[in-house]
Amino acid sequence: MAFYDGLFNTLGLKEWCSQGSSEAPMSMADLLAKGKGEEVTGPLFPFPSLDNLNESCGNISQTRDVTKGIEEGFLAIKPAMKTVLDPITQPLSWLLDGALWTFEAVPWFIMIPILLAISWYASRSKAVTIFVAIAILLLALVDHYDVAMQTLSIIFVCTGISVLLGVPIGIAMSKSDRLQKSTVPILDLLQTLPSFVYLIPLIFLFSVAESKLYGIAIILYAIVPVIRLTDLGIRLVDKDVIEAANAFGMDSKQRLVGVELPLALPNIMAGVNQTIMMSLAMVVIASLVSAPGLGVNVLRGIRNLELGVGIVAGIGIVILAVILDRVSKAALSRVDMTHKTH
Amino acid sequence: MSTKPKVSLRGLFKIFGANGKEALQHVKNGMGKEDLLAQHQHVLGLQDINVDMQAGEITVVMGLSGSGKSTLIRHLNRLIDPTDGEIWVDGEDVMKLNEDELCKIRQDKMSMVFQKFALLPHRTVLQNAGMALKVRGESEETQNSEAMKWLERVGLQGFENHYPAQLSGGMQQRVGIARALTANTDIMLMDEAFSALDPLIRTDMQDLLLELQQELHKTIVFITHDLDEALKLADHLVILKDGAVVQQGEPQGILLNPADPYIEDFVSDINRARVLKVSSVMGKVKKGAKYAGDVQIGDNLESMIALSNGETGKIYRVLDGKEVIGQLDMLDLVKSLVPRISSGKG
Repeated sequence: MAFYDGLFNTLGLKEWCSQGSSEAPMSMADLLAKGKGEEVTGPLFPFPSLDNLNESCGNISQTRDVTKGIEEGFLAIKPAMKTVLDPITQPLSWLLDGALWTFEAVPWFIMIPILLAISWYASRSKAVTIFVAIAILLLALVDHYDVAMQTLSIIFVCTGISVLLGVPIGIAMSKSDRLQKSTVPILDLLQTLPSFVYLIPLIFLFSVAESKLYGIAIILYAIVPVIRLTDLGIRLVDKDVIEAANAFGMDSKQRLVGVELPLALPNIMAGVNQTIMMSLAMVVIASLVSAPGLGVNVLRGIRNLELGVGIVAGIGIVILAVILDRVSKAALSRVDMTHKTH
Repeated sequence: MSTKPKVSLRGLFKIFGANGKEALQHVKNGMGKEDLLAQHQHVLGLQDINVDMQAGEITVVMGLSGSGKSTLIRHLNRLIDPTDGEIWVDGEDVMKLNEDELCKIRQDKMSMVFQKFALLPHRTVLQNAGMALKVRGESEETQNSEAMKWLERVGLQGFENHYPAQLSGGMQQRVGIARALTANTDIMLMDEAFSALDPLIRTDMQDLLLELQQELHKTIVFITHDLDEALKLADHLVILKDGAVVQQGEPQGILLNPADPYIEDFVSDINRARVLKVSSVMGKVKKGAKYAGDVQIGDNLESMIALSNGETGKIYRVLDGKEVIGQLDMLDLVKSLVPRISSGKG
């Protein structure tokens, strides 16, 4: 006798309810109880949840039907989504594979100087460049050079695409309050959704063998800060300066290129820095879906309980993070658009 | 003067709020600023502004803060759109222009100087000064040579490669003026251009502006809350209160014949001897008068008092160039220095 039987009887729904009822055990607990030959006794006053109502009225769905519905719904639209998304995202696979191949193909004695040159160009700081040199040599010394380059190649591609997509989206958001209002919840969702969760639909959509699977996961996770800070940066540009630009007859394109973007650049660069950091965080999780690099070693450390392997790879990621952070921060501080200091 | 005004505002209304058109009807039916705000949550910015600005003159719009003067100047280049009314510039109805034409007229006909300078912080002084030409798409060479010419004119040679943040406020505003001059437009809009500067520099800048105006003869619209500044610069003075024109005309006339108590209060505090000129108080030549000397029509009364050594019995002959056009009785002069007491105070 379930708790809500009386309710459905008084509502006169007994007949409608009994249509869907079945005597078969509906849950593991029911099955076990049946096996022992005793009635399940729930709490005195159970919450009217779907499962509890179902006990009294078989025509009401159970919670597992809801999850099943979601899954079936997703599977139903999957072919359509796949036909649309597959060709669009295919270049991402090529880019990722190409970058991976390039980073691996270029021998270390060429690659390291190139990386140092980039660090110097971006930061113009001797200290930062020397630090990068020591860090890379340290990684290479413990035979983590190859995996570190794999990770770097993924970050390189994903950050690049995040900026290419994120800056225009941020600009569009800064121009339209309505677009901003509708986009912010999506960005919040992307940032708060546990990263494992949005791997799930991606695994259904794309084959794990394709590199775009982890590429999309990383980009979705890492693109948020660059969008947010581009939007913010443009909105924070001094209204008086914008008014002056208008008063001298600048059209919207001249205003964007000549005034808004340069003045928003420090904020946009801060967004890029955050995007790099977040893609590095995601690259480890992405190793679950076959992303190569240092993350694979961390995963091996967890799976096989190889403490040393996991920790060395973890430190490798930290070193990579510090390198990327220092170089991009140094570049950021160089962007002093207002020239307040001489 | 029969010439057509350069800029003309006809029946201009501005009401800030969600439904300005509807609120406009209430205002036209005689509702005041306070009632409109209390009953309809709309702010009355400007009401029924009719002003003609003549070519080659400095029109000064003066009012206290909140009187709508900054709103008014932004209507001329439509940085703010009016709720109702017409704006004519060079015989062209600015209200009928589309987006592109509006950009064009802002580039070619009007330049603006701002209270907070509003220079581009990421551009050098030279690039800032040449901004208007860059917007118009002129060659970089023209931009730089024109900008350089005007920077030198406002006394900023040697600073062209500095950035605005490296300059003092007065120098930044010189860049602002150079930027407006480089645009080489007939009309210059100056929104409280000197209000953020300290008094000494402000006087310098006023002199600079008058000096430039002597040779350039631009149509300048100048906004200020400072009556002394207004009287010093104005050819035509417009006084705003609560978004409406209280009085407009030649500044000396306003000073001597204030139209209402508001303006009487306003003008009672200033140094009349310095502002009033001989022309405003002189009388007709009378026969048999004994003249203590000759003075020019443009002299101000302060210099007259110095000349007469404070004696009120003297009479001077007034000349315009070499022509005798009147006489000045020192007794009249002294009387004119007493401000007309506001009628409200008895």
